[in-house]
Amino acid sequence: MRRTSIVFGFLAAGTAMLALAALHARIAAAPERARMARSAALVRAVGLTDLALFTEARFTRNPALADLQTAFQDAPMSFEHFPSGTFAPRPAAGFGRGELRFGPEEVAR
Amino acid sequence: MILQTPILALLLASALASAVALWAAWFGIRLLRHWDLASGSQTQLDLERRTELVSTLFGFVMLVEITALFLLVFNADRMAALFVGAMCAVGTFNVNGWGFPALYLKITLFFAAALWLILDRVDRLGRDFPLTRLKFAAILGIAPLVLAGFATELAYFLNMKTDVITSCCSKLFTPSNEGLAAEMTGLPPARALWLLAAAGGAVLVSGAAILLRKRGETLFAIAGAVFFFAALTAIVSVISLYVYDHPNHHCPFCLLKREYGYFGYALYVPLFAGTALALATGLLKTVANSDSLAGVQPKAIRHLTRLSLAGFALFGIAVLRSITTSQLILFG
Amino acid sequence: MTSWLRRQRALAEYTLAALARRRIKNTGLLLIYAVVIFVVASATLFATALRKEAEVVLAGAPELIVQNLVMGRHDMISGEVIAEIDGIRGVAGIKGRLWGYFYDRLNGANYTLMVPLDPDMAPPEGQAIIGESLPRVRELPWETAPLFLSRYPGDLVRFDIAERLSSESALVSTDLILLNEADFRAFFELPENVYTDIALSIRNPREIDTIVEKIGRLLPNARLVTRDEIARTYQKLFSWREGIMVLLAGASVLAFVIFASEKASGLSAEETREIGILKAIGWDTGDVIAMKLWEGGLISFSAFLLGTVLAYLHVFAFDAGLFASVLKGWSVIYPDFALTPGIDGLQLTALFFLTVLPYVAATIVPIWRAATADPDQVMR
Repeated sequence: MRRTSIVFGFLAAGTAMLALAALHARIAAAPERARMARSAALVRAVGLTDLALFTEARFTRNPALADLQTAFQDAPMSFEHFPSGTFAPRPAAGFGRGELRFGPEEVAR
Repeated sequence: MILQTPILALLLASALASAVALWAAWFGIRLLRHWDLASGSQTQLDLERRTELVSTLFGFVMLVEITALFLLVFNADRMAALFVGAMCAVGTFNVNGWGFPALYLKITLFFAAALWLILDRVDRLGRDFPLTRLKFAAILGIAPLVLAGFATELAYFLNMKTDVITSCCSKLFTPSNEGLAAEMTGLPPARALWLLAAAGGAVLVSGAAILLRKRGETLFAIAGAVFFFAALTAIVSVISLYVYDHPNHHCPFCLLKREYGYFGYALYVPLFAGTALALATGLLKTVANSDSLAGVQPKAIRHLTRLSLAGFALFGIAVLRSITTSQLILFG
Repeated sequence: MTSWLRRQRALAEYTLAALARRRIKNTGLLLIYAVVIFVVASATLFATALRKEAEVVLAGAPELIVQNLVMGRHDMISGEVIAEIDGIRGVAGIKGRLWGYFYDRLNGANYTLMVPLDPDMAPPEGQAIIGESLPRVRELPWETAPLFLSRYPGDLVRFDIAERLSSESALVSTDLILLNEADFRAFFELPENVYTDIALSIRNPREIDTIVEKIGRLLPNARLVTRDEIARTYQKLFSWREGIMVLLAGASVLAFVIFASEKASGLSAEETREIGILKAIGWDTGDVIAMKLWEGGLISFSAFLLGTVLAYLHVFAFDAGLFASVLKGWSVIYPDFALTPGIDGLQLTALFFLTVLPYVAATIVPIWRAATADPDQVMR
């Protein structure tokens, strides 16, 4: 048995494993879709807005609804209190995306 | 926005490519100045030795750039979910002014890279570095492209903001607009298909001329290039309609989405490959004329022609399939 | 073509023999490389699966949420607002949502108490529907054991369990306690006709922008959150998280690259002599480079396969156990969830770029140096 045959055999086996993983993902797709549809139905019935992944604080339990504009909401000097918050990005558009609903000429008036 | 794995991967690839391109270009300048095959000086020996490394490295970079084009497009398609109003890759590229320049540069780079790789391969077949000067002159031309590609990509990704309202493909590819995209969209389907068929015929005839009579390489290259543009026009004007089963949806990027079975890749990959190979036959005919390549050149050209024709044929099959399997009836 | 293949095979054969001579060192390199890829791949797979889950599941969220802001903070909203908004054209349904947090002094967990929007789902009086984690963190001794919540010392409120939510929806429901409206108001001592916020359903998604604008004019103090914004929040959240993980792993990639480059450039005396002999017996520079590229290719490809397959198993068969403690933070409740397996070309290509490119870049110059040295120089 040549060495290359053994090693290429291993590499082929690895590739086959990867293909198997892709196949597994594909087979699992249908039942998983059904499961997620049931979750979505629950979300609709209860009226949920967020994932219950981080339950430690208000702004990590409901990041989509959190008062991002309230700085230092947990302690006077706290930029970030909870570990999960480390993973939450700063809003990409910066704080304050609203616009003043009047133009400069109205201010002059 | 830069903290996304595919973006990090693209930027890393471009940064490495730029470093290599700069270094290769610097070496290219030295080579063009001092290259003298007849001389046995230390400089010449050193240069000959280094060409091996620089060619290998640059060839590797070119391969990476070719893959990067697909990564860029695939990622743009995937990221469309992040932008308001974006439905497919068009929205992602339109997020700021750098998106489309980055894409066009990557496409140009794709063709340049393919041609360069073929030059490199043929050069290695000759015993006396027949194309080496040309290869390194070409690097001097490609290196700025690589650098510009990196710069636009960086500007594109750094200025990418989510929550920006971008325009969807339905606004770009509609006959009522001005500009090239609208012109292509507005072309009547029948004329677009005739154009494509005519270009396809020209490719077939000139390709057959190479294989049977050993001439017509330049014509084949030109026909390939014409076919490329005819194909893009036909995709926008009519083929997309067949794929989407919709009389007004002209977008050439939505084709790449999962909803349409990634059909776009079946169209674009053979088309791009076929075109690049067709261009390469013309290039080889013009440049690879030295004695040491006398035996190699015709063989290489025939080989490239066959591969190129195969690419165009695959594209044609994909087109026919889209038309025959479609629910949409445009003619008759 | 066959002669080319034979040459490559011979080169690979030689390379393997050379690698086998320094078995321990090369196995070490391979393993470190595989671990680096494993970390990056796990992060990518995990974040992609979470993004997908959030995208699909939160598609059921209300189209628009109206929050009342008082002094920059989220505050209760009056029920009278509902009638005002109801007049706006295009609003298909409008309901006040009641939800709040409850800190459990017994075990330090935070629960989310909520009244389901759908009245059919609300439990009867005195009963509750609980999420998957509650029986775990409260150690409820039997299936129908009642839940006791204590708001302050000496207080005890009893809820019988109407239903336990299945763990398949744990990612959205793990910490929920669903009550009916009367129980909820009594538990939090809320006055009638106030709500936490208001959920709107809008039938035509194109009208959302106009409706947002109209409500903005009607209630200048309100904060409006659309379903699209919720979806994008999660897409960004997980992309960001993934990016951070990849960046952190980038440090280890860098360390690995330095290691690999060091190994390739500081060729041992034995290896240098080997190359010298090869050149002396007639190999040219191209052959040596090809042999070394085989070496790099074999190592990177094996490491890539090993790392990726292990990462897939880690994330989807072992529920990303290594990341759980990082994600969990200080919270007592952590959902017991399984993710939808998925793997795609984009991820694999990006992963390949991020891990294999630096390795090749780091080793190719040292390899060339070794390959071009004169035989007499290296054998001396």
